[in-house]
Amino acid sequence: MNNPVQKHRGWSRAQAAMAFLILSAAIACGLSVYSSVSSLIGISRTAFSVLFLPLLFSLVLAFLLDPIVTQLERLFTRTVSIFIVYVLTLGLATLLILWLVPHLQEFWGNMRTDFPRYTHQAIEGVKRSMAALHDRFPFIEDYSLPMKLRSWAEQLMAAILAQTPQSAMKIGGLMILVPLFTFFFLRDGRRIMSACVSLAPNRHFEMAHDLSYLVSRQLSQFVRGRVLEAIIVGLVVAGGLSLTDIRYAPMLGIFAGITNLIPYIGPIIGMIPGLLIAFADLGVGGQFWWIVILYVLIAQVLVDNFILIPILISRVSNLHPLLVFFAIIVGGKLYGVIGMIIGVPIVSVVKITLLEIRTYRRNFRLPEAALESDRPHKL
Amino acid sequence: MDPLWINIFRKKLDDESLAYFLKHLPIFSELSPRALSTLENLVHVRNYEANETIFEEGDPGSGMYMIRSGSVQIYACDQSGAEDELARLIPGDFFGETTLTAPAPRSASARTMESTELVGLFRADILELAERKPSVSSSILLGLTRVVSERLQAASQEIRRLRIQAGERVSPGNIET
Repeated sequence: MNNPVQKHRGWSRAQAAMAFLILSAAIACGLSVYSSVSSLIGISRTAFSVLFLPLLFSLVLAFLLDPIVTQLERLFTRTVSIFIVYVLTLGLATLLILWLVPHLQEFWGNMRTDFPRYTHQAIEGVKRSMAALHDRFPFIEDYSLPMKLRSWAEQLMAAILAQTPQSAMKIGGLMILVPLFTFFFLRDGRRIMSACVSLAPNRHFEMAHDLSYLVSRQLSQFVRGRVLEAIIVGLVVAGGLSLTDIRYAPMLGIFAGITNLIPYIGPIIGMIPGLLIAFADLGVGGQFWWIVILYVLIAQVLVDNFILIPILISRVSNLHPLLVFFAIIVGGKLYGVIGMIIGVPIVSVVKITLLEIRTYRRNFRLPEAALESDRPHKL
Repeated sequence: MDPLWINIFRKKLDDESLAYFLKHLPIFSELSPRALSTLENLVHVRNYEANETIFEEGDPGSGMYMIRSGSVQIYACDQSGAEDELARLIPGDFFGETTLTAPAPRSASARTMESTELVGLFRADILELAERKPSVSSSILLGLTRVVSERLQAASQEIRRLRIQAGERVSPGNIET
């Protein structure tokens, strides 16, 4: 770097020292501002990553419980209604946990011995079919798929075993934070929303207020619909599976319900463990085909596509399959398995918001033009 | 009783409270104190500078405004863009009430004439209240309907009067269409 002192020979020693001091002070200031800003970004990123999941779950829960609280509010004050709903929910959750814990223990105890057996059987099956394929098409190069499958399954098992205590801690934290956040969302949600909207400038306040209402109504319908759909599909799968001799029917039902939140791919992933266990334990027979029919025809086609989706989910939230894949991949990259599940609903939420804004603008654009376009329909 | 205590307990009747202002509007004059306090939490108080546009003709209309202080000019623009003043409103007046229940574009523009405090009540609030507290929302809507029907009656009388006036000049068949 050119030294300013050398450039301007007329500078005195004191001036040069002053210039040097000012320059170094400026650089120091710049560095400290830069480091504090980057640490601020770091802090906000940490805060976001810590709060993201509890906030998301609380919002979903608040959306789910809000209609019940609203109904009760006709009789009691809002806070009392929320407490009543909390007591009821807590009772239900306790019953659910009491029912689930033995199954969970059995599942966890058996899984350590069963999982290697299932993967072994699956690998055997793959090996057999590979051999058959090789017999028929000998020119295909021998590809060590079974070996890859085995190492992949071992890695998965190790990851599950290692991560369970960690996720138990997380779940414990969520169990405290989520009810707390949900309570405040339920009680003050309207006030928080209107405080946010009131920040809008006067000229746009009315539109912002109207849009916030329309969007939040659509969102709550969407969230409620999705969660109810997942619960019903899970119940159908669990009920159908418990008619057979398959083990872990409740677990498989829960898994199918959760994966059902992901469109297109979710149901397929949801049926893999069930089919694998059925194949390994029951063999290919009447029960196995009943399970296949249950997963594909009854749960997916009949219950989900013919009954639940037309009733619960509006067509507005339909996403293009390509967008679904993007959402799953990006969500998975950002937040792992949970990101994969919530990525698609979040993209749907964004889409619903944008569509609602567009419809609103279109409805109110130029009254004369709207009247002109309405006229032929009315006649 | 010590006057200091009276002041504390009489907070609700304070002339400057929002509930007092709402109570003295013809729309809400028949509301119970409980309904008034609900309404007080429902409305939005907005402060405007002088000469600030509140809404323009054709804007999406979703509610009514009540003037708490200041004054508002209602005007329409003709084809050439010239402004035609329709009304000047003062504290206690309200406007835009027709869009409270039926979504429609604004039929005229509104602008403040001095620094003005407006109290807004919007359709979204009423719809949301109808789910939470149907009785309160129905008493608010009843008051609104009363005022709107009074205005409608006045308007139809005006139309009849104008028609009779015009009938002296034009044949009645032309007016029917």
